[in-house]
Amino acid sequence: MHLPSWNVLIQVTIIGILTGGVYALMATGLTLIFGVMRVINIAHGAFLILSAYISYWMFTAYGLDPFLSVMVSVPILFVIGIIFQRYVLSRVKGDPGLGVLLTFAMALTLEGVMGSLWESTGRSIRTAYTSKVYALELSDLTVRLPWVRVGGLVAAAMALAAIFLFLRYTNLGRAIRATIQNRSAAQLMGVNVERVQAMTFGIGLASVAAGGALFSMIWTFNSGSHEEWISKMLSIIVLGGMGSLPGTFLAAIIMGVAESVAAVVMTSYLSPIVFYLILFITLIFRPQGLLGIKVREG
Amino acid sequence: MIEILRRWWKPFALLILLLYPWILRAPYYHVLGFNVMLFATMATSWNIMGGYTGYKSLGHSTFYGLGAYLVAIAANELGWNPLISAPFLALIVALVAVLLGWIMLRTSGSAFVIATIAMLLIFRLTALNLREITKGAPGLSQPLPPWTPEFSRMPFYYYMLAWLIIAIFVSWYIRRSRFGLGLVAIRDDEGKAEMVGVKTTLYKMLAFGISAYFVALGGGVWSYFTSHISPVFAFDIIVGVDMILMTMLGGLGTLWGPVLGAFILVPSADLILFSFESNTIYLAVIGLMMMAVILFLPKGILPTIEGWIQDRRAPRAAHQGALSMAEMHGLTDEPPSPAKEARHD
Amino acid sequence: MTELLQTKGLSRRFGGIQAVRDCDISVQVGSITGLIGPNGSGKTTLFNLITGVYAPDNGEALFDGKRITKLSPSQICHAGLSRTFQITRLFWEMTVLENMIVPIRQVGFRSLLGPNMFREEIDRAMGLLERVGLTHLKDERARKLSFGQQKLLEFASILMAKPTMVLLDEPAGGVNPTMIRFIMNLIQELNQDGVTFLVVEHNMGVVMELCNHVIVLDQGTKLAEGAPEAIQTNRAVLDAYLGN
Repeated sequence: MHLPSWNVLIQVTIIGILTGGVYALMATGLTLIFGVMRVINIAHGAFLILSAYISYWMFTAYGLDPFLSVMVSVPILFVIGIIFQRYVLSRVKGDPGLGVLLTFAMALTLEGVMGSLWESTGRSIRTAYTSKVYALELSDLTVRLPWVRVGGLVAAAMALAAIFLFLRYTNLGRAIRATIQNRSAAQLMGVNVERVQAMTFGIGLASVAAGGALFSMIWTFNSGSHEEWISKMLSIIVLGGMGSLPGTFLAAIIMGVAESVAAVVMTSYLSPIVFYLILFITLIFRPQGLLGIKVREG
Repeated sequence: MIEILRRWWKPFALLILLLYPWILRAPYYHVLGFNVMLFATMATSWNIMGGYTGYKSLGHSTFYGLGAYLVAIAANELGWNPLISAPFLALIVALVAVLLGWIMLRTSGSAFVIATIAMLLIFRLTALNLREITKGAPGLSQPLPPWTPEFSRMPFYYYMLAWLIIAIFVSWYIRRSRFGLGLVAIRDDEGKAEMVGVKTTLYKMLAFGISAYFVALGGGVWSYFTSHISPVFAFDIIVGVDMILMTMLGGLGTLWGPVLGAFILVPSADLILFSFESNTIYLAVIGLMMMAVILFLPKGILPTIEGWIQDRRAPRAAHQGALSMAEMHGLTDEPPSPAKEARHD
Repeated sequence: MTELLQTKGLSRRFGGIQAVRDCDISVQVGSITGLIGPNGSGKTTLFNLITGVYAPDNGEALFDGKRITKLSPSQICHAGLSRTFQITRLFWEMTVLENMIVPIRQVGFRSLLGPNMFREEIDRAMGLLERVGLTHLKDERARKLSFGQQKLLEFASILMAKPTMVLLDEPAGGVNPTMIRFIMNLIQELNQDGVTFLVVEHNMGVVMELCNHVIVLDQGTKLAEGAPEAIQTNRAVLDAYLGN
C-alpha cells in the first residue's frame, strides 16, 4: 500500500466518477428487476457480456460504431428479457432462493455458450477515438480524460434520463413503480403484474445492452468475465438499496471512485476485494443499503 | 420382492462399492470412483444445511478451498500426512464456518445466497494475494503419496468411501434427532420456530458448521489427490454449484438424494467433458441441467418417485383426504364428543 | 394480586404510522384478560412487541417481574410466554404429531442429540391431541387439516411448552359457534389449571363471557380497562368503536 500524490488522486477520482456513470447504467436494470420481481438476476453479468459481444461483432464485421450498435443490441436483449421472464423465470414464482439459483444457472449456460462460440480470447472494441484523450487543464493540474469515458458518461446519463422519464411519465412506467412499491395494491388497482414483470425484465436487459455497448469500448472481456461484473453490479445495487434507482446511481458513483482509488493505493489485483467486502458488509449489517426501503419483518 | 430389495440393498451396494476397484482395474475408473465418493460426501454435507434448513449456500466451495490449503500447507510445513490431518484440519474449517455463519445468518433467502458468494470471492482473492502463505496464482504443490502409481488412486477411493459412509450416518442421525426436527421446522416457518422456543440462530450455526466439515475434508483429500492446487481451482464456484445440483437432482432434504445425484452426475459430467473436450460446453450443460431440474423436477428424483408410489398405492386414501369446501372452512367441524364437553359443564 | 405481564410506555412506529404509543397494560396472574379495540388500534402489534417479533422504539415489557424487552422470541417462549397468531401458523409440511413435539423445551445439549420423540413426550402430546379431538390425524400433514382443526392444533401445540401465560390472537375468528364454545371451555379449563390468558378478540360475546378483566386499546394506547360489564357501557369505548 502506498499513498499517491494529489495529482494522481484527483485524476483517479474523476475517472472514477466517469466510470461510475457507466456502472450506473449497467446496474440500473438489475435493481429495477429486483424491485419489481424480488428476484436477483445473477445472469445480468452474462447478459452484459452478451451485449458486449454483439457490439463487438457488429463493429468487427460491419464496422458499426458501438454508439450506434445499441440499435441492434437493445431490441434483441429486450425481447430475450421478455421471453426469459415470461416462460422461464415466472415458473418459480414465490421462491426467491430458487429464482436466484435459476438465474445463476442461466448465467452458467450463457457463459458456456458464449465461450464455445467465441473462445476465451479477450475482446475489446478499438475505434478511431477509443485511445484519444483530452487533457483538461485545471490551474496547475492536468487531468487526462479519455474521450470514450466522457462519451460513456454522457451516453449513460442520457439513457438513465430516458429511463427516469419513462418511469415517471408513461403508464407502463407508473405501473412498474406501483408494483415496486406495493405489489398487491398495484394488482388491486388493475395493474397486470405478469405483463409488468415481463416488460420490466425486458427493460432491464435492454438497459444492460446499452451499458454493454459502452462497456465493450472501455474494458476487455471474454465469456468468463461475467462473474467479476455481476459481483460488481450486485455490490452496487446492494449498497444503493435494492430496488432504489437513485440509490443505485449514488452507489455506482461511490463504487467507481472507491475502485479507482483502491487501484492506486493497493495492487489492482486486490482492488476487486473492495466490491466484495462492501457487498458482504452491507448485506449483513445494513441490508437496505443507503437509500433502500427497510424490509418488513414477517 | 420389494421387501428383499429394501432390506438388502445397502449391504449389497456396499459390497459392490468395495469390490469396484478390483472389478474395474484401469486407473481411469479409480479416479472416477474417487470423484463420485468425493462429491457424494460433499453433497450430503451441503444438504445438511441447504436441504434440512433451507438455507442454500452457493459459496460452499469456500470450505473446500480452505480445507485444501490447510492440508497442503500442513503437509509442506509440518510434514503431516494429509489422510491423517484432513479430519482434524476440517474441524478448524468447521469452526470458521460457524463463525462466518454467525455473521451471515442474519440474512435469509436470496440475501444469504449472495452473501455466501461474496464470502467465496473474498477468500479466493485473499488466497491469490497472500503469496507468502499460498504461493498465489501459480499454486501450491505438496509431496506425492508414498504408494506405487498402479495403486495410487485406490487408497483415495477407499478413504473417501469410508468418509461417505460416515457422512451419511451423520446426516441420518441428524434427521432423526430433535436437532433435525428443529432444522426442518426452521425450513418450514422460521418465525414460528422461534416463537415456539427453537433457538434458531444456534441451530443454523451448528448446521452450517457441520455442513462445512465434510466439504473441508473433501477439499483436503482432493489437494493430496491432485498434488497441486491453486486459488482458482480450490475456490472454484462450480464445485459448490455441483454439490447443489446433485442434491437437487437426487432430492433436496432427503438422505440419499445427494448420493444418488452424485452417482448420476459425476460420471455424466465426465462423459460430457470427454465427448466434447470442451470446458465451456460443460458449463453450458451444467447450467441447462440446473435450469431443467429447477423448472421440471424441483423436488428431485427420490421425492418424485415416492410421490408416484404413494399415489398408486392409495388412491382411495388420497380421495378420502380431500376435504370439501365446507369442511375446509371449519363449518362442519364437530368439536370432540359431548362426553368430553359434559365433563366440565 | 400480582401482575404476570406488564408493559410500560411501549411505543413503536412503522414508517409514518405510530402503531403503538406509550402503552401501559398489566395482566394479573391467573386471569383471563381480554384485549379489545377497533381495527388498527395496535392489538396485534402489541402482541408482536411483547413476544419479541419487533423491538419497541421505547418502553419495556416485564414478564413475571423480569425484563423481556430485548429478548429474542425463543428466549421469551422459554420464560413461559406463548402465543397464537391471527392467521394460523403451523409447520405445514410436518405431521400433526411433529407439530406437537417441536415446541417442547430443549434443555441441554444432550437432548438435541437424542431421538426425535421420547415416549413420555408422545404420550403427553397424544393426551393434548385427545383433548382437542385430533388423535386420529396424528400422522397427517398439517396443511391437510381443515381450518378449525388447524386452529385447534396451533393452540394445542403451544401448550406443549407448558407456558404460564398464553397470548391468544382471535381464537374465535372464523369458526362456527359450536367450535367457539369448545375453545372457550378449553381456555377456562386451562385457566383453572393455572394458565393466565391475554386474549385479543373481536367477538364481544366471547369477551363478555370469558374474560374477567378487559383492556381497551385505541390508536395504539390504552383507552380504558375494567370488568367486562363496565367496559360495555363506557362512553369513551363506545365512541372509539363508533368513530365519534
